[in-house]
Amino acid sequence: MISPVKIWRRQKDIRKILNKKGKIIVWTKIYTPGSDFKKYAPYPVVLVELSTKEKIYGQLVDYDEKDLKTGKEVVSVLRKVRSSTEEGVIAYGVKFKII
Amino acid sequence: MNYITGYYTTRFGELWDKSLFDLVEEALRGVLKQNNLESSQIDAVFFGNMLAGVLENNLHSTSKIAEILKINVPIFRSEAACASGGVAFNLAKTYLDSNPNKNVLVIGAEKMTDYSPEETITGLSAAASGEEQETGLTFSGLYAMIANFYLEKYHYTEKNLAYVSIKNHYHGTLNEKAHFRRKITLNDVLKSPYIAYPLKVLDSSPISDGASAVIMTNNLSLAKKQKYSVSVLASEMMSDTISLKERKQIDTILATKLSGNKAFKTAKISRKNINVAEVHDCFSIAEILAMEDLGFWEKGKGGKKIKELSTMYGNGGNLIVNTSGGLKAAGHPVGATGIKQIGEIFLQLTNQAEKRQVKNAKYGLAHNVGGSGGTAVVTILAS
Repeated sequence: MISPVKIWRRQKDIRKILNKKGKIIVWTKIYTPGSDFKKYAPYPVVLVELSTKEKIYGQLVDYDEKDLKTGKEVVSVLRKVRSSTEEGVIAYGVKFKII
Repeated sequence: MNYITGYYTTRFGELWDKSLFDLVEEALRGVLKQNNLESSQIDAVFFGNMLAGVLENNLHSTSKIAEILKINVPIFRSEAACASGGVAFNLAKTYLDSNPNKNVLVIGAEKMTDYSPEETITGLSAAASGEEQETGLTFSGLYAMIANFYLEKYHYTEKNLAYVSIKNHYHGTLNEKAHFRRKITLNDVLKSPYIAYPLKVLDSSPISDGASAVIMTNNLSLAKKQKYSVSVLASEMMSDTISLKERKQIDTILATKLSGNKAFKTAKISRKNINVAEVHDCFSIAEILAMEDLGFWEKGKGGKKIKELSTMYGNGGNLIVNTSGGLKAAGHPVGATGIKQIGEIFLQLTNQAEKRQVKNAKYGLAHNVGGSGGTAVVTILAS
């Protein structure tokens, strides 16, 4: 379950991984998601390796089909990541866009 | 030495008229009857289940089992996602290793079809890391990433993956307890809709209900009295990172590799001795990786090897894989799967596998994976 406190705690980590550049090392496109993501499907999810070798997952946004390739350069951006909770708190997190 | 003396499984499928504990009760009574045992002769019970707490707000299932069996003995529940059953078996074996002359019941069960697919998928996602859940990565999504990586690295296509499903659906037609009992063609697989690219509906195991149980004993005189018994040569479990991204290699399930190596060492037999195996094919790519990581096939060659269909029943191969239909066609009631795999090997080694009986099967292996590879259990049995 998602609680507002959980969302608040996660924000501290998210700000450290914003505006980071890296390359897609593997990707998929989800057609049958869980309940919280149903209205966004289908959506691509990429695993990105940063220049520091750290790896981060995120959905790819503002993309063309041809961008779904390993090796593509991307940058991490702040986006809404799931529908708002019953308490009305909107969860923000990391997504990627093509550079 | 530990012996398996009985196995019972419910049918797997969309069993709308049965609750989780209806299924549990059927499997418990079925296996006790098979061995002519009273519940009072059971010294401990091990229960593999993943989702009852998440989907049904239904925990403390161990004491519900005590209520069904009307016994007062130690009862343990294990949860390790899709490896919950295999882990229950591993715990039971460990318990027997330190308690002489005991009989234990090992049961795995899952009730998954009372909810919408999205709700069940969300429940299953509880076994992924928080970061994976936050990005909307489902289990099919994680295995799809592994598949995409594998196909690109070794230059295969979705066709190579499809042969796993073709084989396992054929085996499903030979198993009357299987969820799906129809053959499928290459075209059927390739034309089925994507669930997570490059995996399609027919690359994936279904959402199923079911329960499976075995009786294991280290009481030699009891084992000798039973009509059927097989020896448990090894049961080894290993863990690895919950996140796929933290693994050194995306196309290797390290937990499988380590538990497999250890199991073969403990069992003191070689890969060539294994005649039948049930490997964890939650998605087509998973069976290919399992065959490679267990050491049956060379890394990267699985895509080519599966096309030869040498592991399909009736093709004369030395090793037949997933005669039950695997998770793909027999169905995948998560907690039951690991026990059903061991039960299928029991049937094969005791000549009870009927239409799918592999001739002269002496050694068999069961391989159960939790999550995207965070847990693996490998069990080796001998007739």
